[in-house]
Amino acid sequence: MNLFESLRVSLRGLVSNKMRSALTMLGIIIGVAVVILVVAIGQGATQRVTDTVNSLGTNLLSIFPGESHIRITAATTHAAGAKSGGGGGGGRSGSMTLLDARLIAETFKRTVDAVAPQVRDNVQIRLNGKDSTTNLTGSTLDYPYVNNVEVDRGRYFTQEEMDGSQKVCVAGMTLADKLTGDPTTDLTGQTISINRQSFKVVGMLAPKGAGAWGQDQDDVVIVPITTAMQRILNRRFINFMSVRCVSPEMMPLAQEQISTFLRNRHHLTPPFPDNDDFNIRSQTDLMERQQSVTTTMTSLLSIVAVISLIVGGIGIMNIMLVSVTERTREIGIRKAIGATPRDILMQFLIESAILSLIGGLIGIGLGIGGSMLLASIGGWNTIVSSTAIIAAVVVSAGVGIFFGIYPASKAAALHPIEALRYE
Amino acid sequence: MQTVSPAQALLCLRGINKTYVMGDQVVQALDGLDLDISAGEYVAIMGPSGSGKSTLMHIIGCLDGPTSGSYLFDGVEVADMDEYELARIRNQKIGFVFQGFNLLARTTALENVELPMLYGKRKDRRERAIYALERVGLGDRLDHRPNELSGGQQQRVAIARALASEPQMILADEPTGNLASRQSEEIMQIFQELNDEGSTIIMVTHEPDIGQHCKRLVHIKDGRVLDDDSVEHRLVAKEVLVEMEAERVRELQIKAARNAAANTLQEVGGLTR
Repeated sequence: MNLFESLRVSLRGLVSNKMRSALTMLGIIIGVAVVILVVAIGQGATQRVTDTVNSLGTNLLSIFPGESHIRITAATTHAAGAKSGGGGGGGRSGSMTLLDARLIAETFKRTVDAVAPQVRDNVQIRLNGKDSTTNLTGSTLDYPYVNNVEVDRGRYFTQEEMDGSQKVCVAGMTLADKLTGDPTTDLTGQTISINRQSFKVVGMLAPKGAGAWGQDQDDVVIVPITTAMQRILNRRFINFMSVRCVSPEMMPLAQEQISTFLRNRHHLTPPFPDNDDFNIRSQTDLMERQQSVTTTMTSLLSIVAVISLIVGGIGIMNIMLVSVTERTREIGIRKAIGATPRDILMQFLIESAILSLIGGLIGIGLGIGGSMLLASIGGWNTIVSSTAIIAAVVVSAGVGIFFGIYPASKAAALHPIEALRYE
Repeated sequence: MQTVSPAQALLCLRGINKTYVMGDQVVQALDGLDLDISAGEYVAIMGPSGSGKSTLMHIIGCLDGPTSGSYLFDGVEVADMDEYELARIRNQKIGFVFQGFNLLARTTALENVELPMLYGKRKDRRERAIYALERVGLGDRLDHRPNELSGGQQQRVAIARALASEPQMILADEPTGNLASRQSEEIMQIFQELNDEGSTIIMVTHEPDIGQHCKRLVHIKDGRVLDDDSVEHRLVAKEVLVEMEAERVRELQIKAARNAAANTLQEVGGLTR
């Protein structure tokens, strides 16, 4: 019997038991759909991290206070501009000063383009009885340039305002939304209260959208760093500084120069980098860290999905075993009139392969549909990759064949007479 | 006793032994059995239950191998063939008819008849299947499934399935065991016609009436051939069917006459009152 005829016989067997076939496929359907969905989410997240880092500029160095073996959480939250800007994550926070930042900018003019020292914390903001907990960033005039931030209405604060620690601020779109209920509101010229002090809004930031971790980069208010340190947060040290190098090629040199400079200024003793009280990360480092987190998540979820695929495969084996027992007489008839063990083996093997293959195809459909749904409703960034689809098809067919082997060989090994006598 | 020289025999069984182990008992189903059957014969194998006739049938049909002994089928030793070779012989050279019909459920008559040829890689299987079904008088039932057919019709589908690949012999295991007498007779008529056309038919039965339709009777007891005779007063199915029909008509006539008489009596009673 050729393959085409075996296929026909097997299909007939499946169609005559539609409900059971459908239920058997369910395990594979779910497994494959989850694999595709998880990979799509993982790749989407990776893509978003890459985009964010690229939008910040690849020739950016980030300098944190603290020990050199910095924790991933500190690095990632700072880089992504998360809300938890407070008190230096990991290690000692009291090491970098505003003066450090200014000296770096002045000393290394050939390698360093601009420096934006920053302090960050969450503050309480009020306007007309409505309030919002928002991320306050105190920085200098170079901040918009270094961090690719744009002001689209009003203006950024001036040197005079910074020198005088004046109470002026630039607000993000989400903050406007939270205070007035309308994201398009122009707060310019209004007076808002930040931690119970009155600030004048001088400009509005252009929207940046969600960050690498899905956090809102527009829920932000920017004030002069002097104002932030002296009047609001009462700090002597900065949380973080962004250093823009003149070119990506200059980054290793800049990193080296800044390290030496800070070690001297802070009177640190070797060995380095173990005794450093700061930490320098390039955007590529951060990207790699974030991607490794994403990859870990994706592989964890993929393992869950693969387990569900295996469970689905065992389901197929179970049903095929029942099917072989149930159709013992049919097998006997087929053998009596001349089916070889191979014919019977093929019939059952093809049945289980078809089950899992069709299940796999439906699963692919569901996976793609699900990731599109997540993208349109949940606003997640998902990328359905052809690799994941091909892998899902191959794995599901493989599962079907692997778990079909035992029941099929059991059927093939049946003795014709005993099979015929079976009631 | 008939004697056939092994050279011209289609089947030649010599010293066939078959033992089964059932629990801790060893059952000797066949005990050094010898049997020759030539092409064109119509043989009934008869015997009480436990005589070994089913086991013999399975060995003749290549469904099972003997424990020891020699079985030449069409000049080829099949006693020690492997499963694949046996499957090929069953497919190409033997047509089976079972007591329980053994048709595939949810499958049309036509597809059931095509099935052996599907495994035998025949090209013209549809034409052959239709021809075989027409041959057994079911040309108008091609697309019926077994559960839409009577027992007699199902058995005729099974015969068509056995015929379709033009085997060298037809092996029938209690073919009339599940059928009423009239349907049995119809099956016997088909077998007799096939035999008249040259088919070799071997049939296992325990019904003496059915055995009388064959040309040769082989009685088996305790795994050996007890006696082996040609049938002297052979029943011809066609005649039996005519007789049955006449009997039925006679009974109907008698019934009608009785009814008429009863009616007349009633009328007479009414008049006298």
